[in-house]
Amino acid sequence: MKQENIRAFSIIAHIDHGKSTLADRILEKTGAVSQREAKEQLLDSMELERERGITIKLNAVELSYQYENEDYLLSLIDTPGHVDFSYEVSRSLAACEGALLVVDATQGIEAQTLANLYLALENHLVVLPVINKIDLPSADIEKVEKELENLGFDQNDILKVSAKTGEGCDALMDAIIKKIPAPKGKSNHPLSALIFDSHYDSYRGVGISVRIVEGTLKKKDLIYMMDTKASYEVTSLFIHTPKEKEVSVLKTGEVGVVYAAIKKIEDVHVGDTLTIKDHPCLKPLPGYRRVKSMVYAGIYPMDTSKFEELREALMKLKLNDAALTFEPETSLALGFGFRCGFLGLLHMEIIEERIRREAGIEILTTTPSVIYQCKLATLEEISIDAPYKMPDKTLIKEIREPIVKASIYTPKAYIGEVMKLVQEKRGKFLNLSYLDQERVILEYDLPLSEIVFDFFDRLKSSTKGYASFDYEFKCFSPSDLVKVDILINKEVVDALSFIVHKDFAYQRGRKIVERLQKLIPRQLFEIPVQASIGNKVIARCDIKALRKDVLAKCYGGDITRKKKLLEKQKEGKKRMKQIGSVELPQEAFMSVLKMEKDE
Amino acid sequence: MKKEIAVYIHIPFCKQICPYCDFCKVFYEKGLVEKYLKALEEEIIETYQKEKVKTIYIGGGTPSHLTCLELERLFQILTLFQKKDSIEYTVECNPEDLCEEKLLLFKKYGINRISIGIETTIEKFQKKIKRVISKEEIRKKVELVKKVGFSNINVDLIYAFQGETEEDLQEDLNFLMSLNVPHISLYSLQIEKHTQFGYQKEKKIDPSLDRDLYDFLCNFLEEKGYQHYEISNFAKKGFFSSHNLVYWNNQEYYGFGAGASFYKDGIRGHHTRSVYQYIQEKKVIEEEKLGEEEKMDYFLLLGLRKEEGIGKREFFFRYQKKLKEVYSFDSYLKQGVLEEEGDFIRIAKEYRYVMNTILVTLLNSRKSS
Repeated sequence: MKQENIRAFSIIAHIDHGKSTLADRILEKTGAVSQREAKEQLLDSMELERERGITIKLNAVELSYQYENEDYLLSLIDTPGHVDFSYEVSRSLAACEGALLVVDATQGIEAQTLANLYLALENHLVVLPVINKIDLPSADIEKVEKELENLGFDQNDILKVSAKTGEGCDALMDAIIKKIPAPKGKSNHPLSALIFDSHYDSYRGVGISVRIVEGTLKKKDLIYMMDTKASYEVTSLFIHTPKEKEVSVLKTGEVGVVYAAIKKIEDVHVGDTLTIKDHPCLKPLPGYRRVKSMVYAGIYPMDTSKFEELREALMKLKLNDAALTFEPETSLALGFGFRCGFLGLLHMEIIEERIRREAGIEILTTTPSVIYQCKLATLEEISIDAPYKMPDKTLIKEIREPIVKASIYTPKAYIGEVMKLVQEKRGKFLNLSYLDQERVILEYDLPLSEIVFDFFDRLKSSTKGYASFDYEFKCFSPSDLVKVDILINKEVVDALSFIVHKDFAYQRGRKIVERLQKLIPRQLFEIPVQASIGNKVIARCDIKALRKDVLAKCYGGDITRKKKLLEKQKEGKKRMKQIGSVELPQEAFMSVLKMEKDE
Repeated sequence: MKKEIAVYIHIPFCKQICPYCDFCKVFYEKGLVEKYLKALEEEIIETYQKEKVKTIYIGGGTPSHLTCLELERLFQILTLFQKKDSIEYTVECNPEDLCEEKLLLFKKYGINRISIGIETTIEKFQKKIKRVISKEEIRKKVELVKKVGFSNINVDLIYAFQGETEEDLQEDLNFLMSLNVPHISLYSLQIEKHTQFGYQKEKKIDPSLDRDLYDFLCNFLEEKGYQHYEISNFAKKGFFSSHNLVYWNNQEYYGFGAGASFYKDGIRGHHTRSVYQYIQEKKVIEEEKLGEEEKMDYFLLLGLRKEEGIGKREFFFRYQKKLKEVYSFDSYLKQGVLEEEGDFIRIAKEYRYVMNTILVTLLNSRKSS
């Protein structure tokens, strides 16, 4: 393919704004799949993605398209739609020259779309604004046009389509060919290829999705990855049309998948530059950074004997998900499990779900915690990824917590509500700007821990679902934080400890002990449930002793029934965790941990 | 020496059906009684292996509601058993059925223990369970029983009715004391699924209140010289129910009649609860054949109902294993939930009313061999 006839682009859209349907339509237009073949939303291949209607792993397809008697190659690179994956999004955008900004005609622009638009502009992409779902009766095309104009688009450039009916899609194809520039890389330069995705194939090892920025890549080339310094011989090269097709060479501007019998996914980092070992490019491609986990939680098997199975499941997931980290940890309360690091909450939920679904292991997840930096009195710096690891406060000089820059996009009617919420969440106001007459963008510095707590749900409920939200990590900042321990029968239950701003410690402690009081069944003795900071108890509830648990009558006819009754009680007890002399139902753990979301 | 055994006979016929009762029962019907007794006789002949019988317990239903003729027929059938001289031979009676003629018949056939179902003497609760009878009437009946020559008398009483107070219970107990009987069974009202109360969704009393009543009655009866020898049973010295102790000591027993349970040759089971099916085929439903571990579990869960608890020597004698090596008692002993005295391990008084929780932990602690 002639380099000047290559068009590489992404689709930027909010969840449900029709990205996948539009992609399907483009596939049809290029004849890559017939309408009958097109399973709904062909690009989303993971079962979970289809169910949730979101894209988690990236996909790229190579499509040939004839336009005015010229053959063109269209590379459509899919991007994940969620805030947790914004770095991945930025890398896949970096692999393109253009982007379609898809906006739902009935909804207008959302915060995430906007965030991704900025990412596209930072990567110097040509952005084609597309208003989708124009066939719907509730479509307000004019309003959305205004919003786009306010963002700086020319009204004449705005494409109006219905991905569902196909209306306007021909004009869209024309615009892709005419307006998105061809790749500019030099084919005679040493190879530099951008890694924008990876996945694991049990037969061929790690598959690396790359965009060839300069030079060419051939089978048997000895490749070298500049950050991880790993080196392998290419065993095969593929493109997706969307069916997999083996090729012998990937040329400048092309997108493909490289296999090199790589067993360690750690060797392949998204954003890294792939080159030729003996003939490397001078410097890596710009914009690379290592992804760091921001949210941590313990994952424990419900059945303690499934620890090894859980390890295997996590290892398998990690093969496909470089952003997941895990290491074994032991909790006095929960036994053996793993402390896992995630990009964010959605990422965490996806991993939990995949362990349950793909590995069939019932798990218990502890309260998610962000990562804290801690300067000790000895001036030593440590990172804390679990509340129980926080040293005694007398040993600490300073604690710093991650702060994010949050952009909240809301109809102006809810500004008051949003401001109230963000203030409660310790937000620091930065900026307010109007996108149009109806909608504003509020910018805040917010502690990440407050987002982990219950921010999403509160934001949604206080704006009747209208506000949307995006954030990016900004810095670590000193904060007046304390660790609150939960004591059951005077023993600290490590899995229930949490770190919280001093001002909220009492309130949160109170809530949790009250909840536990309701959840823990009465036992033989009265049990105090306390929340404490260091040695100081800040909240206490008592679980009264059990007063009656007996079969009053037990004669000849009652005996087997009594045994069955006890067997049933025994089953119930199996789901209990013994903490000292107290038995806690696992449900109690989960509800306490989950409570944070629903209260 | 032949093995000794206990025998339970079920007579399912009642004049009326009580709303709390979940035993096997039908309305009294003359023709049916005849057929039933015939089936009972056949079953005893087919099954009984000529062991020495140490206790017979005729329960129901309402055995006392049978006519004298029917009772005579029943007692005749029961002469099939080879009785020990020291046999305990009980018949359950409703107070209104007691008359001199029937009592003399009991005497004639060697019955030596009368169990009277009074249930409650408080009118509002009597109405609720449809068992209205005045205190005076009850007193007359009990005196008659004594007059005919029975000294081993039990009275059944139910407490923890919805709305029952300590004063109500006190009234029942005071009256009971005036009857001066040597054995009292006191049950907290259980609402069972397939009873009228169950269908009506009759509410249970608050467990904490139930416990208060229980503590009250235990203290009261102990003060009056009754020994609290099982969770719901109190007796003067020498009047413990031998038959019921067979159950709590996890010993074997025959059960004859519709719905009757048995534990024989290591098998626990029961008969069909349908009187008609019983008459036709005497159907038996085997529930479980006990292995050694189940036997040990039963020994524990039944034995701990007794005030004295379970004997370590007895356990070793039966199962050739040391009790403390099979189950772990240590932490409960340390906490004072269990007590060890000489050969026996028992539940401390304060914890007897929450024994299920304790049993579950103990059963879970069993080490499999």
